[in-house]
Amino acid sequence: MFKPFETLRRRLPEPARAAVMDAFDSCTWIKVRRALSALEQCPLEEQGQEVAVQMLSTFTLESIQPALHLGLRCIPCRPKLEFAPLNTIEQQLFDRGSEVYQRRHLASVIFWRVDELLPDLYHPCSSGGPKELKRKAAELMERMEKMAAVYAEAGSHPLFFSTFMVPPSAAARMLESQLNSGLSASIAEINARIFDLASRDGKLRVLDLNRWSAQEGEAHYDAQMDFMARQPFTVRGALSLGVFLARNLRPLLTPRRKVLAVDLDNTLWGGIAGEDGIANLKLGQDFPGNIFLRLQREILELKEQGVLLALVSKNEETEARNAIETLPGMLLKWQDFVCRKVNFDHKYLNLRQAAAELGLGLDSFALLDDSDYEREQMRAFNPEVLVLNQRGDPLHILDSLLRTDAFDVHQLSQEDRARHREYELREARSVPSHEGNVAEFLTSLELRARLEPVHKNNIERVIQLLGKTNQFNLTTRRHRLEDLQSMLSRPGSISLTLRLTDKFGDQGIVGVILAVPGDDPGTLCIDSFLMSCRVIGRGVEDTLWASLVNRAARAGVGRIVGDYIPTARNGLAATVYERLGLRRLEELQAGTRFVLEAVQPIPFPAWMTIEDLDP
Amino acid sequence: MTTNDPLRQLLIEFFELPADTTPKELSQPAVKQWDSFAMMQLITELQAAFSIEFDLDEVDKLTDYAQIRAALARKGVSL
Repeated sequence: MFKPFETLRRRLPEPARAAVMDAFDSCTWIKVRRALSALEQCPLEEQGQEVAVQMLSTFTLESIQPALHLGLRCIPCRPKLEFAPLNTIEQQLFDRGSEVYQRRHLASVIFWRVDELLPDLYHPCSSGGPKELKRKAAELMERMEKMAAVYAEAGSHPLFFSTFMVPPSAAARMLESQLNSGLSASIAEINARIFDLASRDGKLRVLDLNRWSAQEGEAHYDAQMDFMARQPFTVRGALSLGVFLARNLRPLLTPRRKVLAVDLDNTLWGGIAGEDGIANLKLGQDFPGNIFLRLQREILELKEQGVLLALVSKNEETEARNAIETLPGMLLKWQDFVCRKVNFDHKYLNLRQAAAELGLGLDSFALLDDSDYEREQMRAFNPEVLVLNQRGDPLHILDSLLRTDAFDVHQLSQEDRARHREYELREARSVPSHEGNVAEFLTSLELRARLEPVHKNNIERVIQLLGKTNQFNLTTRRHRLEDLQSMLSRPGSISLTLRLTDKFGDQGIVGVILAVPGDDPGTLCIDSFLMSCRVIGRGVEDTLWASLVNRAARAGVGRIVGDYIPTARNGLAATVYERLGLRRLEELQAGTRFVLEAVQPIPFPAWMTIEDLDP
Repeated sequence: MTTNDPLRQLLIEFFELPADTTPKELSQPAVKQWDSFAMMQLITELQAAFSIEFDLDEVDKLTDYAQIRAALARKGVSL
């Protein structure tokens, strides 16, 4: 069985798995058809969604359709391949009414090659010489530029440009390898242009067929079929191409895993820190330390590509941290892990906790661990976690990370690049993670609250918070702009926004309180009181409340009334008024009314620096 | 023809035909799914199954059971 298939195998519906494995093992059309039949008989929900993919090609692909289908079905999905007439790529792209511009496709994929587009490259010396070949290659690239430009303007879904494969059927003459306009040189230049085109427009992607064919070697090529029917692939090659196509399309259907959880001993280094001692751990340029070094380098690369790293190790935390910080050659640092579970609890429980802390599902996690026991336990108790390696051998662990499609993505967004930092800050700001010395911790955050009334420059943000805050929201009133403006224009109304800054940066406006005069003179009624959940536990609500009370006291308000109206999601706010010193006044049809009598100025939280504008 | 004729068996499995299909019924005009694309796959399948390689001038003639059997025989495959 060829290796690329490994990445898809585990997602196959169980009843069809054996038939599919048999097809990939035997590489015969009969077995391929049997596997497709077996997959079609699986429950529909296991077969995945239906997707239409358009294929545009300069050579025949329809005759290998079952192999492409089988690869795509392993995503899993139910593919519908639509083949454009052979060699009509440009016509399709320049005709804005053509199938390429139909929105029903998941993607369109262009397969092209030298044989049809620039066959002179096979024979550089008898095709007009280097200058002429250069001119022809430049002309072809110009055509590609135009195709990319027209699609960038009018296309809707991803369009894949394949790279040119170095043809296995080219003569093995040494001279061609030396020419700057020979086959190899020209293909390299054309492919470089394809990568460049894709980097300019988000809709254009690369299907790197050249890399695929280099990895597959000559086993993918069928000269007989190529000459006879312009179909260049063996059954094995066709199956592998199907898997490769599936891997390229999969990121359009499935989100990638967001977290890579890794073990320490015998995973990130050779040996056991607690038993062998740091001096005897294996990590470095020599075997076997070089395997662990390369693994760390790959993990670091994933981190930079927006994958969060979590550490799960059965160790003493101080000992593990000491090893990470002092072992010579360590590429990964303690801070590279947004989540560190170094203790002797079950790893599956640790990962559940990590998922809760990061606000992610367990299906966002992948795991590398050398221990058979730990991997087995993870599979049994957290089946959503993708266990990447099947054995503890370090080379296998490295190989499983190199081959996995779990973290596949076509493009990196700003969020991807900033994700690690974002979670690092979230962890640093997290109050529960600093239990025991909360006030000291809150002081260390250097929190600053900037309080100011609602005005034209912040009213959009206030409307947004009113519209989307669910959990810490006492009344969940979704005011429209005009209602809010009308409310605030009433004499005696008080509105306050709180902008929070800490030593890590500005978090923007995170809390709002709105109050209007009640029917009884001297009474102020809270209309809305809400706060963004990401700042819970820092005293934001206390600060907003204190500011409101102080303003009310100065304005001669004697009594403040506030309602808590429960919803399915705001249970968090049920006890806020009582904690702030209000007393239960009455039960309403929709909730509970609280009251603060004899309004007097109150202090702000001690750890909060206050900047009260227009107090 | 024998009950375990591997060529007949292969053609029946390849075209997903009823198990009792006779060699006479195994021809391009008689089997509707035997189109040009299937033809290409069939050549690959036959070559792999019998470990032979057809000459290019033979390939066009592999349009029914008898022709394929004869071509295999020329390659030294006795069924």
